[in-house]
Amino acid sequence: MKKGLFVFLVLIIALGSVMAQEKVTLNVLNYQQADQAGYQEDVAIWKRFQELNPDITLNMEVLFNEPYHQKLQAYAAAGTLPDVFYVWPTARSAVIHEKKLAKDLSKLLGPDFLKDFSGAATDPNNQLGKYMAMLPQSFTYTSVMYVNKKLLADNGFDLPKTYDDLKKMVPKLKAKGINVIMLPDKDGWPMQSCLFSTVLGRMAGNSFVDAILAGKAKFTDKPFVDSLKVIDNLYKDGIIAREDNQVGYGEAPGLFVSGKATIYIDGDWRVGAYITDKASGKALIPPAAQESDFALLPFPAIPGEVNPGVLSAIAGTGWAISASIPAGSAKEKAAVRLIKYLYSDEVQAIRYSTGAYVPTRKNVKANVEPLVAKVPLFYAANPKTCYVFDGMFDPAVYNVVNDGLIAIGLGTSTPEKVAADVQKAYETWKASQK
Amino acid sequence: MPRVKVRPGILVLFYEKLEALQRRPKKRFNKRCKKWNAVYESLAISGVAMVHLNRVHLEEKRAYWAMVMPAFALYLLVMAFPIILSIMLSVSNYSGGKMFGGEKWGFAGFSAYARVFTDPWFWNALKNNLYIVLISVFGQLPLGFIFAYFIYSKIVRAPSFWQGVLYVPNIISVIVVGLLWQVIFSPHGPIAEIVNSIHASSFQGQLKAIFDGAGGFSLSDDVIKKILHLAGPSGQAMFSDPVPELRDLLASYNGQPISEIYTALSNLFVQKWSPAFLTKTDIAMLPVLFVILWMYTGMYLILFLANMQKIDAQIIESARIDGANEGQVMRYIILPALSGTIVNSAILAISGSLSSFALIFAMTGGGPSRVTEILSIYMYNNAFLGRPNFPLANAISLIMVLISVVLIVLTKAVEKRYGGKEE
Amino acid sequence: MSEMIKETKLQKALAAVGRGAVYIVMSLFALMTLYPIFWLIMNSFKTTREFQVSQLAFPRAPTLQNYVEAWKMGDFGLLFPNSVLYTLGATAGIIFLSLMAGFAFAKLKSRATKPIYNSFVIGILLTTQTLMIPLFLEVNLLGLYNTRLAVLLVYIGAGLPIGIYLATEYIKAIPSAVVESARIDGAGFFTIFLKIIVPMSVPVATTLAMLNITGLWNEFALINILVSKTELKSLPLGIYKFSGSLSTDYGKQFAALTIGMVPMLVFYMIFSKQITKGVAAGAIKG
Repeated sequence: MKKGLFVFLVLIIALGSVMAQEKVTLNVLNYQQADQAGYQEDVAIWKRFQELNPDITLNMEVLFNEPYHQKLQAYAAAGTLPDVFYVWPTARSAVIHEKKLAKDLSKLLGPDFLKDFSGAATDPNNQLGKYMAMLPQSFTYTSVMYVNKKLLADNGFDLPKTYDDLKKMVPKLKAKGINVIMLPDKDGWPMQSCLFSTVLGRMAGNSFVDAILAGKAKFTDKPFVDSLKVIDNLYKDGIIAREDNQVGYGEAPGLFVSGKATIYIDGDWRVGAYITDKASGKALIPPAAQESDFALLPFPAIPGEVNPGVLSAIAGTGWAISASIPAGSAKEKAAVRLIKYLYSDEVQAIRYSTGAYVPTRKNVKANVEPLVAKVPLFYAANPKTCYVFDGMFDPAVYNVVNDGLIAIGLGTSTPEKVAADVQKAYETWKASQK
Repeated sequence: MPRVKVRPGILVLFYEKLEALQRRPKKRFNKRCKKWNAVYESLAISGVAMVHLNRVHLEEKRAYWAMVMPAFALYLLVMAFPIILSIMLSVSNYSGGKMFGGEKWGFAGFSAYARVFTDPWFWNALKNNLYIVLISVFGQLPLGFIFAYFIYSKIVRAPSFWQGVLYVPNIISVIVVGLLWQVIFSPHGPIAEIVNSIHASSFQGQLKAIFDGAGGFSLSDDVIKKILHLAGPSGQAMFSDPVPELRDLLASYNGQPISEIYTALSNLFVQKWSPAFLTKTDIAMLPVLFVILWMYTGMYLILFLANMQKIDAQIIESARIDGANEGQVMRYIILPALSGTIVNSAILAISGSLSSFALIFAMTGGGPSRVTEILSIYMYNNAFLGRPNFPLANAISLIMVLISVVLIVLTKAVEKRYGGKEE
Repeated sequence: MSEMIKETKLQKALAAVGRGAVYIVMSLFALMTLYPIFWLIMNSFKTTREFQVSQLAFPRAPTLQNYVEAWKMGDFGLLFPNSVLYTLGATAGIIFLSLMAGFAFAKLKSRATKPIYNSFVIGILLTTQTLMIPLFLEVNLLGLYNTRLAVLLVYIGAGLPIGIYLATEYIKAIPSAVVESARIDGAGFFTIFLKIIVPMSVPVATTLAMLNITGLWNEFALINILVSKTELKSLPLGIYKFSGSLSTDYGKQFAALTIGMVPMLVFYMIFSKQITKGVAAGAIKG
């Protein structure tokens, strides 16, 4: 009798625990491309989550670029957003933020979890909807000078600290067929995101942009025009080659490494292009050379700048939870577990080691190649940041800036004219918002 | 009386009964029913005929619907719903987010259409699309026709080889075309290399003239000034103090072969070629149009060739015997026979040009600076990026449909006037 | 007499020159056609690093690595059969439905023909993008999201406008006497369709096959919207995995693109004779 009761109790407990582990299925939309650095590691990360959490089944969809954006819009329109999805903090995923299609993570994750993340990451003002729809995995600097120290030294130059330093380099290098700065602008956004935003921050500052948004300043005012003039001068002085306006984004790293330019300007995410590709074992810049021959520098001092040393930076991408999951449900709990896993120390360390980005999670340690290790040092050395232009304005406006910068680069337009075009575009856009 | 075969059934039984009735040899009946017989007979026949015709009609109707419904139903499902939704959205104030069941949205008037028509970028995109339509209808079709004719009339041998080869571009994924495009036009690509070396040689020729004029290699002020003059204002702008700086620079080359100096100077002052024409309105469309021509001509070639081969060879034979030359054969036999195909191809070409998206998107993305933007890219930018503007995007889409309708109606009108039906 | 001979000689000479010119023009065109394919295949045997350094030269150390990796990473083993199913299945559906409806519109009388037929023609003009979001909504509503059926239905539906247009035009040209005599012999409409119209429609069916197979094989916008599970995806989606604008791995990208292209090339090489024969078979009219 006792034995029977015992067995019975064991059965009940077993049954109970099995039932308590309700099987939950989560739909996930991931953003990865098979040939990007870190693809294999990414696959492994998801596999590991499944192993650690057998009670959660993941239906994962992986897209990239255009198909991703199209699908996201379709999901948003149908109201069938995946439970956990990859998202941008600002304009690129505007519909998510503005229509509040993602849950507020500050409440779901809790201050205890969030204290391990940098202030910039947890500040809801860095996101379009002014609430924490997602947690940025990185806070990326869009304006980094990748400097080929060796090439400079071979030509008798030191690291440039001022605009004048750059200008002095031009004749000697150009005579050898080497450009001073390479900035591939065929796609239009690199010049605006990676250099112009910094210049605007230096010459005008965030307060100016805020003033424009509040209607108290115009693009045709001096600070903006002066910023455009700086870009104009960079081309006129020969520091940036005019033909770079036709060089494709994908071509540039190869060109830079083969010595066609001493400096390459891009965002910090571009380290990924230079480090070892785990699949083939080859790197554009061998690790040893990364350490000794290359350096990451902030853009030099510009004559007339009012905010010396600021660099444009913006919250990076991250994960969000769909707002249509019922609050308090098993699904929501599972989603939170997934998020916490994705942002955990182990996972962020893996991502860091692939050179994907520098995590906003504090104190993540990983074995990284020298060039990647330089990035957090770069952050620490340049703490002052300013807005990235396309994070603050609608495509209707920043596309005009992109086009204007190309025109300035080709010599077919002037700073004043571009400023006028941008102002007009802004006013038209504002009018259409009513 | 036409023999109408009827399926066995009630009618036949009825008819047979009637026949049986007629055959009954009853005097009284005969006399009396002669008139009635006629009436019965005619009633019977017309009744049978009517029922038969009705039945045929019914059968035809049933067959008609049975054959049309699957296609029509599927079509409604797949295309009608989107069109209707598109029309609805274009006059709404829907702004993203869950479409049904989310925020309420409703009729908002035709402001989206007004915005499209007043947007200069719309007219830009429309213009580019019209270029494409023109090159398709007046480039691909004639070229395909001519090539088909060459193959058909055996002016070139190995017809299947040519057919195959010229059709191949159709099979290549647009991504490849886009990649090649980038490689070829890159400022570091093959065209650039050739152009740059040409420019460099001519510049160096002029340098040589300067040095020869000064009696050999020298760095006198005069020579320097002449070089700077050759360099032009853009070259001079890279120095703060041109004359001494240039002199110092050249002095640093002391001891090296003169060719090094020539190279250095041409690196400094010769503007490197870049496909700047790709940023100019209209001109930028030329390479794009060329690629479109290259890519789709093969398809029309096959269509035309196939239909040419359908022409009865004897007709041409007899025409030739009668003394007709190539031109006449073409005008009186081939062209009329192909008029239907030509019209079909024109319609295919027009609809294809207006809806084409992937190829141009892969090559130029509509840029740079929107100079190669076409209507479908214009619409895409408004529908799928960040904050989509659905009313606007759908308005554009419907305007595109309207334009296509207009063009196709025009095409059909032209056909009525100049073409002839095959029958 | 001698004048005639002289004339003929001159004509012959001109003809030869003309012929030469034609050969040159067509050869140029052919060269431009073949070069991209050659370029693609050549580069697919280069490693990415080698490509970044020299884009137009022969590979110095050809490697199959790209293909192996691309195939694995892109799950092409799964995608390939799907592509074949979608392309062939949808094409068959389009041809069958188009011929059937074409026959009805061309040879059967009904007042409904004009409006229905015209509504099909309007469908030729719609772009894929107009369809994308509404289709997505509809497919979700019907619970058909992530099903092969949905993909086939959408592909067939999208191909019907052109199919019906071409089929109707073609069948209109078939003499009605053929149909009438068959009717007199007591044949039902379906029998007439299957036994008479279909064999006579080989040319237009071949045309439709050609148009749709090459169009559907490379299609990716609609299928991206209709499925999310990898097991249901088609080749173009797998290829696109390697071809984004920030793409840096050219080696795998080219291998993936070649994998996508080869079946079409093979299909074309095998069937080009059939295609020409098929279309030409319509030359023998009854």
